[in-house]
Amino acid sequence: MSTDEYLDDVEWTVDDQGHITVDNGDCEDCSDKPCLHLCPAECFDHQEERQGEIYFSYEHCIECGACLVFCGNDPDKGAVSWTKPEGGKGVEYDFG
Amino acid sequence: MTDFDVVVVGAGRAGTAAAYRLAQENVDVALVDRARQPGMKNVTGGVLYGEVLADLVPEFPEEAPLGRHVVEHNVQMLHDDASIGVSYRDPAIREEPNYTVQLGEFDRWFVRKAEEQGATFVPETTVRGVEQREGHAVVATDRDGGDITCNAVVGADGVNTTVGRTTGIRDPVQPENVGLSVKQVIELDRKTIDERFNLRSGEGTAYIFAGFPEGAPSVGYFIYTFESTISVGAVGNMATLQTYGDQGYDGQGTPLYDLLTRFKELDAVRPLVRGGVAQEYQGILVPEFGYDDLPNRHEGRVCLVGDAAGLVLNKGFTFRGLDFGVESGIRAAEAAMQCRKRGNWNAFGERYDALLGDSYVMDELRQHSRLPSFLENERLYEAYPAVARETLKQTFSSEGDASGLTWKHALTALRRQDVGVRDLLADGWRAFRSV
Ligand SMILES: Cc1cc2nc3c(=O)[nH]c(=O)nc-3n(C[C@H](O)[C@H](O)[C@H](O)COP(=O)(O)OP(=O)(O)OC[C@H]3O[C@@H](n4cnc5c(N)ncnc54)[C@H](O)[C@@H]3O)c2cc1C
Ligand code: SF4
Ligand code: SF4
Repeated sequence: MSTDEYLDDVEWTVDDQGHITVDNGDCEDCSDKPCLHLCPAECFDHQEERQGEIYFSYEHCIECGACLVFCGNDPDKGAVSWTKPEGGKGVEYDFG
Repeated sequence: MTDFDVVVVGAGRAGTAAAYRLAQENVDVALVDRARQPGMKNVTGGVLYGEVLADLVPEFPEEAPLGRHVVEHNVQMLHDDASIGVSYRDPAIREEPNYTVQLGEFDRWFVRKAEEQGATFVPETTVRGVEQREGHAVVATDRDGGDITCNAVVGADGVNTTVGRTTGIRDPVQPENVGLSVKQVIELDRKTIDERFNLRSGEGTAYIFAGFPEGAPSVGYFIYTFESTISVGAVGNMATLQTYGDQGYDGQGTPLYDLLTRFKELDAVRPLVRGGVAQEYQGILVPEFGYDDLPNRHEGRVCLVGDAAGLVLNKGFTFRGLDFGVESGIRAAEAAMQCRKRGNWNAFGERYDALLGDSYVMDELRQHSRLPSFLENERLYEAYPAVARETLKQTFSSEGDASGLTWKHALTALRRQDVGVRDLLADGWRAFRSV
């Protein structure tokens, strides 16, 4: 099961700079990698050849803040540096 | 001399209510939001309990873009593909101004109302931090030269509050204290919704579901009706989702979007959501604190309102935060008016906290303070639905002995689930005390 079909209905004004960065060095010791199943937009991809096996892309982030809580705020993980996009950038909902 | 008396960060309902009330009293107030248009970043379920808003903006029920007037609430327990439900309609709730709302339209309307009162709305501006200095506060934004000075700051910037985090008022949030939700908006035409949900034109209904997958604690689902759309969502405590199930990287964890997809396929759910065109998908966090562990919400000239202060009542898969946001925003405005009158803003945060303490928001949170621990009880999600199902099967199935709903069936089923009568009574007592 993936989120592709769900994300088809989402719109973004994509910034050329990422608002979230992942320091893959911290992923090396992370054994459960909850980012892979908890991010509702699947911004974290499992790629064996990457450092820490994680590839992150910010473009389709829906800015929920989950990765701030389960990774950024966890002193044992902490790979995620989390901010909000610049004004007027990022996800844009019609309904809400 | 500062740029404004008050800067409100975040134009959700909490911040906009504060700005509206301040502007009404001719306080010089800026309302800053990161979105291109109000509401574009915002997500809710949900039902707006409209009483406080009607006090603040009396014309709201006629003027605001609203979904449907909520006249019915449904609770369904799921057990595998079986479902057991309670449906509640009551003329008493018909009298209340409770409506389904979608925040895209609603927040745009509300911000316009605050502007009409004289608030200065600053869109497309992300606040990066707030600093308290001697005699004033500075709100740093991502605009060139965009630092704004003021006497007081209202942090109304939602669950991932920048104001709370950069001032250190809020500690880092832990997975136990947030729910993760994913939600889909599906377009159905108005007539289909009326017929499918047994509603008259303009009437709306709300559904909550629990018990799927079997035994998953603190995971639930909801369906709300709007004029020509429905929203269908799943919500689960983040700590639960991190470890429950076996679909994650090291064999533990469950993707919530996967649960939502499977939920929509259940026998009890498919007829409600089928057809229609998917319009939007959203993901959002919701604060899940109990009254006893509510986070800090003020310091000096800064206060936090709405989700930024964790002011949400978790009633088990439905939340009450929209009206709590409005009420806390109004209390922040009152605190600012007191400070302006005295010409001293140093105790702004404390004044807000005292006013909030006297409000119905804190009363409600206090009254429900035992609810969260009750909801974590696993029997509620596994044993009881199974028992109820067994008992009803004995009653309605042609294979049952047709002697009706008897205590004997219930007790036999309870024993099969390894639940003692002592547990049953204790859980019943806890449920009673928490609601
Ligand atoms: C799935 C779900 C269902 C719910 N159902 C219900 C329900 O049925 N009834 C109910 O009463 N409540 C419900 N709630 C709770 C309710 O949605 C929230 O409590 C409410 O929306 C909080 O309002 P707010 O104004 O505090 O924050 P928000 O609505 O989150 O507003 C925050 C604002 O701040 C802005 N912002 C954020 N950061 C910055 C920054 N750094 N700079 C500038 N601007 C910023 C955002 O763009 C946004 O406009 C539900 C919540 C969820 C997740
Ligand atoms: S949870 Fe954080 S530390 Fe762990 S793999 Fe994912 S990004 Fe890396
Ligand atoms: S904020 Fe939410 S959507 Fe964006 S990367 Fe983090 S978990 Fe994924």
